[in-house]
Amino acid sequence: MHAAFSVLAFTVLSGAGLGALALIALADIVATVGGVELPAMPALWTRTAALALMLVVIGLCSSVLHLANPRNAWRSAARFRTSWLSREAVFSIAFLAVAAAYVAARHFAAAAPLLLALAAVTLVLAPVVIYCTAMIYASLKPIRAWHTARVPLAYLMLGFASGALLVVATLRAYGEPVTGLALIAAVLLAGAALVKLEYFHFLAGSEGSVTIGRAIGVPQGVGPPGATSVMAARLLDAGHSRGTFLTREFVNPRRHIRPMRWLFWVASIALPLLWLVAGLSEWRGAAAAFTACIAGLFAERWLFFVEARHTVRLYHGDQRT
Amino acid sequence: MKLGLVVDLDTCVGCHACATACKEWNGASAISGPLSDYDPYGSDPSGVWLNRVRHYEVGAYPDVKTVNFPMSCLHCEDAACVTVCPTGASYKRDDGIVLVDQDRCMGCNLCAWACPYGARELDTASGTMKKCTLCVDRVHDVALPEEERQPACVLACPTHARHFGDFDDPASKVSTLSAERGGFALLDELGYRPVNRYLPPRAPPTVVPDPPPAEERGALHRLIARAKAVLAG
Repeated sequence: MHAAFSVLAFTVLSGAGLGALALIALADIVATVGGVELPAMPALWTRTAALALMLVVIGLCSSVLHLANPRNAWRSAARFRTSWLSREAVFSIAFLAVAAAYVAARHFAAAAPLLLALAAVTLVLAPVVIYCTAMIYASLKPIRAWHTARVPLAYLMLGFASGALLVVATLRAYGEPVTGLALIAAVLLAGAALVKLEYFHFLAGSEGSVTIGRAIGVPQGVGPPGATSVMAARLLDAGHSRGTFLTREFVNPRRHIRPMRWLFWVASIALPLLWLVAGLSEWRGAAAAFTACIAGLFAERWLFFVEARHTVRLYHGDQRT
Repeated sequence: MKLGLVVDLDTCVGCHACATACKEWNGASAISGPLSDYDPYGSDPSGVWLNRVRHYEVGAYPDVKTVNFPMSCLHCEDAACVTVCPTGASYKRDDGIVLVDQDRCMGCNLCAWACPYGARELDTASGTMKKCTLCVDRVHDVALPEEERQPACVLACPTHARHFGDFDDPASKVSTLSAERGGFALLDELGYRPVNRYLPPRAPPTVVPDPPPAEERGALHRLIARAKAVLAG
């Protein structure tokens, strides 16, 4: 699959923002219900929440750039009953409204019940939005690498892990050590790493059962009489002299897989984990750790597309998908 | 009603007339036209086509054959492109034809991803998704003579490898042809229930040369012997 930059930016940035906002809301709920003080000043948490909300907004704007005809984007709520993209649109707009109100309520120190209610809705909606985004991919049967429950799991884990890192990085940038939160972020990152490790293992393990012979389906009559099995086939000519929409969108070369995986492992997992464990609270390190994580996630999301092979590739000569 | 096509892989010669006729009719049609071309006279020409013909080599030597393979939308009964469409631009009509409402499409590409057959192409000039309309603006047009109320690809095919009709009617030409010739659906195991049917290439006649009868063999031998004698002088 062709990896469009706007979609990479959308899923990575809004994923981190959604994860961060959900965790901030959770922290608020735990602190209020449990009657404990949050580490660091409330204003600092509000600032972190605003930063996370900004990431979500940038991500959603980027997702609109992916549309070839954004004038009709307002219609995207029409098929809520069947389309995951429709659900994502509805839930992300709802999330933006609630999260904006939540950040405002924090800023203006609203009454505890109101703040608590907004935090609760934010906490519920954030993973719902991430799940809807992931299900857009996971619901597509023609793409074997996507049509699995591993995809929503990975999106949720990576969103929450990068979100937790964002929270810790912002608080530490202002000199707050937040050891407990750093531990949570480290656990989430390690969990996300395990989920991706299993996903890469899954990709390498299964070859795919649909062959080019099945795709063109010529069942018999080519070989000697009696031979009724599906015949072997190969593409002679794709019928067009240059690229088409189909070749651009689906028939991408699978190059740079290994370096991009390394980039993901090092930048998204290893470096932020080291930084979290080292307990450095200084703004340069914080900024570097979060930036590295996001850069690595861009590589991860790029791989998610480039390694996925669509069934239509069989008609363009692939032997198996 | 279940309108669709039968494509005869036995008689298709791979001339691309169907694809060209499709481009001509639908490019000027109000349903989804124009079908934009990008850099048409330059070094990297490309553009939107609703019907593409590919060519495959099937089998293993010496039992090998070239199969010309035209593909357009199969108008699936369980069309995933319709269910994933967020704006409601993609829809399936009562007569079975799957269409894109060009005024509602936002160009998100999701329907093209959901289709395993590559039946949809994004027109980057209009920003909307284009696909085979089964020439909906021909097949129901009572102003046309009845024999012309068929898709442009069917009318253009010089070897009658394409047939149009209603698969819900067991007596229609497409139903009977498909039943007689073992018409098959593409990748039906994926569960989209495509309507179009493909007729497999017929088995080539098996030619087993007869052994020559004994007396003829004798005559030939006599002839050769006489020729040798004459040559020897």
